[in-house]
Amino acid sequence: MNKKISKVAVLGSGIMGSGIACHFANIGVEVLLLDISPNEINDIEKNKGLKITDKVVRNRIVNEMFNKCIKSRPSPIYDKSFINRISLGNFEDDMHLIKDYDWVIEVVVERLDIKKLIFEKVDKHRSNGTLVSSNTSGIPIKMMNEGRSDDFQKHFSITHFFNPPRYLNLFEVVPGPNCKDEVIDFLMNYGEKFLGKTSVLAKDTPAFIGNRIGTFGIQSLFHLVKDGSFSVEEVDKLTGTAIGRPKSATFRTADVVGLDTLCHVSNGIYENCPEDESREVFKLPDFLERMLKENMLGSKSKQGFYKKIVDKNGKSQILSLDLKTFEYKEQKKVNFDTLNQARKAKNRADKFKILISGNDRASDFYKEVFAKMFAYVQNRVPEISDNIASIDSALKAGFGWEEGPFEIWNYIGVKEGVDLMKSFNLKASKWIEEIISKDINSFYKSNNGFIEFYDKTSENFVKKPGQENFIVLKNLDKDQTIWKNDECKINNIGDGILNIEFNSKLNSINQNILQGLNKGIEIAEEKYHGIVIGNEGQHFSAGADLSMIFLMAIEQEYDELNFAMKLFQDTMMKLRYSTIPVVAAPHGYTLGGGCELCLHCDKILAYSETYIGLVEVGVGLIPGGGGTKEMALRASDQFKKNDVELNLLQEYFLNIGMGKTSTSGHEGFGLNYLMKNKDLIIMSKKNQISHAKKIALQMHDNGYTKPIQRNDIKVLGQQALGAFYVGADSMLVGGYISDHDKKIAKKIANVLAGGNLSQSTLVSEQYLLDLEREAFLSLCGERKTLERIQFMLKNGKPLRN
Amino acid sequence: MEEAYIIKGYRTAVGKAPRGFFRFKRPDELAAETIEYMISNIEGFDKKTIDDIIVGNAMPEAEQGLNVGRLISLMGLKIDDVPGVTVNRYCASGLETIALASAKIKSGMADCVIAGGVESMSFIPMGGYKPVPGYNTVSNGNEDYYWGMGLTAEEVAKEYKINREDQDIFAFNSHQKALSAIENKKFDSQIAPINVEEIYLDENSIKKTRNHTHTRDEGPRKDTSIEALSKLRPVFSNTGSVTAGNSSQMSDGAAFVMVASESYIKTHNIEPIARLINYSVAGLPPKIMGVGPIKAIPKVLDKTNLKISDIQLIELNEAFASQSLAVINELNLNNDIINVNGGAISLGHPLGCTGAKLTVQLINEMKNRKLRYGMVTMCVGTGQGAAGIYEIL
Repeated sequence: MNKKISKVAVLGSGIMGSGIACHFANIGVEVLLLDISPNEINDIEKNKGLKITDKVVRNRIVNEMFNKCIKSRPSPIYDKSFINRISLGNFEDDMHLIKDYDWVIEVVVERLDIKKLIFEKVDKHRSNGTLVSSNTSGIPIKMMNEGRSDDFQKHFSITHFFNPPRYLNLFEVVPGPNCKDEVIDFLMNYGEKFLGKTSVLAKDTPAFIGNRIGTFGIQSLFHLVKDGSFSVEEVDKLTGTAIGRPKSATFRTADVVGLDTLCHVSNGIYENCPEDESREVFKLPDFLERMLKENMLGSKSKQGFYKKIVDKNGKSQILSLDLKTFEYKEQKKVNFDTLNQARKAKNRADKFKILISGNDRASDFYKEVFAKMFAYVQNRVPEISDNIASIDSALKAGFGWEEGPFEIWNYIGVKEGVDLMKSFNLKASKWIEEIISKDINSFYKSNNGFIEFYDKTSENFVKKPGQENFIVLKNLDKDQTIWKNDECKINNIGDGILNIEFNSKLNSINQNILQGLNKGIEIAEEKYHGIVIGNEGQHFSAGADLSMIFLMAIEQEYDELNFAMKLFQDTMMKLRYSTIPVVAAPHGYTLGGGCELCLHCDKILAYSETYIGLVEVGVGLIPGGGGTKEMALRASDQFKKNDVELNLLQEYFLNIGMGKTSTSGHEGFGLNYLMKNKDLIIMSKKNQISHAKKIALQMHDNGYTKPIQRNDIKVLGQQALGAFYVGADSMLVGGYISDHDKKIAKKIANVLAGGNLSQSTLVSEQYLLDLEREAFLSLCGERKTLERIQFMLKNGKPLRN
Repeated sequence: MEEAYIIKGYRTAVGKAPRGFFRFKRPDELAAETIEYMISNIEGFDKKTIDDIIVGNAMPEAEQGLNVGRLISLMGLKIDDVPGVTVNRYCASGLETIALASAKIKSGMADCVIAGGVESMSFIPMGGYKPVPGYNTVSNGNEDYYWGMGLTAEEVAKEYKINREDQDIFAFNSHQKALSAIENKKFDSQIAPINVEEIYLDENSIKKTRNHTHTRDEGPRKDTSIEALSKLRPVFSNTGSVTAGNSSQMSDGAAFVMVASESYIKTHNIEPIARLINYSVAGLPPKIMGVGPIKAIPKVLDKTNLKISDIQLIELNEAFASQSLAVINELNLNNDIINVNGGAISLGHPLGCTGAKLTVQLINEMKNRKLRYGMVTMCVGTGQGAAGIYEIL
């Protein structure tokens, strides 16, 4: 099906509807968002002299809901200007507009009668071939199809987003009984490629895949601890990052989601899954009933499993609920030997093996939790999905787990998992027994760079679909890594393109990384066509390695520090001025040195969720790896004849001076870290490396010539310095910045202005790099800068001094 | 020596900037039409007898640039014979021009001069398009020469211990007085009606034209209250007390008077209204420019042999509530005779126009009240103050 989506109508403007509308706007789609119109006029409208027939009154509900969504944090929208892509209206007046729309998504209240009324209208106004989907999380498609036209049913499915739609990556697609296969294929592909989601094909069973298993996981933990054998904070410690799940773990997540929502989903599953062998797990334990009754719903009612209080001294503190006494008490420090042991594990598989082989309470906990989870998921195939890979994908994308349940089981071993289940009187299902009888002790294996999973239907290993289109670095064969040190790898990703991959802590840039970058360029210039710098860490790079800088600065080894910074600058310049094209593929934090690296590449292909910025001010420094130089250069390139150049340069000054960071890839353009007509955004993270590779190859094929270093950068000298000094002084006097901030601002000003030259002058990159390095080193000799660096290293957040 | 008399004076209504009703009106046109209106109100007036037009303006660039004074003369008089000049003493510009006109006439350099000022803050931003502080000056620690006015208002509040509450009450009173003045038609006879022609695209991108005429100040707010004012956040300093509510408004407006010699009014048989007895400016540290009147007022009184108690009505420009209160407290001024019809916090502050506008307001109110001596005074950027004393004839 060669369908193009340029216009989407979203029906229902609640949290989900507005969020979905924003996400389509994020990817450039024209969106129509509709909701009901009010029955009567309110007092404010009356006072303004409005009538019930006025458009603002008719659209009041959608206006209010949408505004609330736009103001929520983290923001549902990549860039404020994208809001203009969404127009608002109401069902009564505007439903006819959907005849020109490519896709209509229903997100109204979860009541069949209301949904049916809406679909009746949709059926009346839609053009043949228009996709229609529902975001329901529980109403069977068959019922929604009743009374609808043939063409409607052929194009009708469930597309289930997770809240918040911009940030949660699971996109469940559930085909209706009469839905055309090509519609489902289209939606699965669209979800991945355009919406940047993980598309998972689900069946029309209650709560589909993500919520069914996810809710089971939470509920079984609730039952496990209902006798108070583990404290709230203990459970969160055990079920958070320790096992590759979000830090908010179990109870904190429940507080954020809201206990009422969670219980609503649980009750739904309990009612609609009478055949589920673990149905009783979905029944709410007593403490949960009590919490609902006492309005302890979590964040929304300001108390749940945790409660934030402010003590007498004005210090805030987070207390946890004692499930036995039902009182909030101070959290106790959690320490388990098993966790300490697991921390030493060499790899993920070892880690999980250690977790279930200890002798303490923690290990007993894990044994029971995993045994119950394995038992549950084995029985869900084929009920909720025919393949285990979909189940794992759903949990990873929808709940932020690093591994899905079958992947954890795979680490432990299929047979060992069954033994674990047996120790809790849980039975392995038939197909698991069969695997074991065939002497297969894994669910997954890697073959030729591709992941294969055990398919229950064909009773054989099959390739996980969709992999042909993307490059997964961790699945590369060993011989594809052509060079490596402890923290950096150079991978051959085919067709003459190399990948440079960082593996340092937070992918910070240190000597090893710089060595890898230089080596990569050297090898590529000799034998390859281009380089892609990208990795699969949580973040692209949080910046230069501060600990190294701190040590040299505190020892006053300024010559070494100068040498190190020169190496950094030279490496950045080499990225720009090499004989091969270099493409950066940033995602997540791309800060400080990480940002500087990107600024020097020939092209940036940024993931939509990239948070890029020159944040050095926070640690008392200025961008010293060519970042400040690059901002002066970019400003200069924007100067037009008769422009007031100073005002433009001021934007760049403020970017660095205030450490401005984008909240999305798109915002990076507004801050001039990304450049229109040069850099690109990609929605699908999975496709990022492979697309970056294609770009590098294309640049090579177009005929890539090493650029010539610039010596025509217009700097403004004293004109800019005077203005920036006054700006910094005013900020200080106004109490917005500290003395030290002012000092740093003046250093930034000096580089951007090219020093105190009497008039505008054309300078070279090296001239600016030398100014930049000099300023960097002088700040390294400042006590307050060292305090800032030390604070950051210790606490992971900036100090204001 | 000749005497110099004010024989006519008008001001426009003051529009809010940058989104008020004069946002479509170029400042040169606004000034030219004000002058045109003034002349049309002097029976049998011969435009060729005007020696010069002196226009005060605080940001003389872009639409206010290129010696806008000369352009205003051409546009307003529609003859080539009368020259024009632009004068800048920031917020005292409109008063400075009247002083210059009076001085020229007294010294025999001229017989009839139009003086006043115009400012469109909708068109030209505060500080202009390209403020470029001197590197050497600021490197020597003189950054305050270039501070924004808000910071100086904070500095005054700190130094003269003016608290937030008093500033908000002062601001609230300004609005109340202005509303009452408008209600009682105090300004009607002094305002030159200005027509605005607006060419725009409607919601369907169809080009439309609409005309509207303005005779009423846009600034005063009925809906304000001390409570609402107290909720505003400080805008110039993180820790300060100066808010958008207790500062003067950004505005668009024009005001002009005609000044003529004794022999001129005799020849043409014109009745004088008032005269500027004297005018002084004074300098002080730029950081506390707001208290400029503290130095300028005694200086001008000294020259005229008048005591502050002789002054019966005062227009003290409300650049900020903090500086107004500091001046009032420090000179022990009589609150009952200051800004009786509201001030810049409610009525607006079109920088270069303000001195002339306050002159027009003062003269009209004094005539109504049948008073003799009155004063226009204001603080001026970069550490200055100005004060002029008028006598009603």
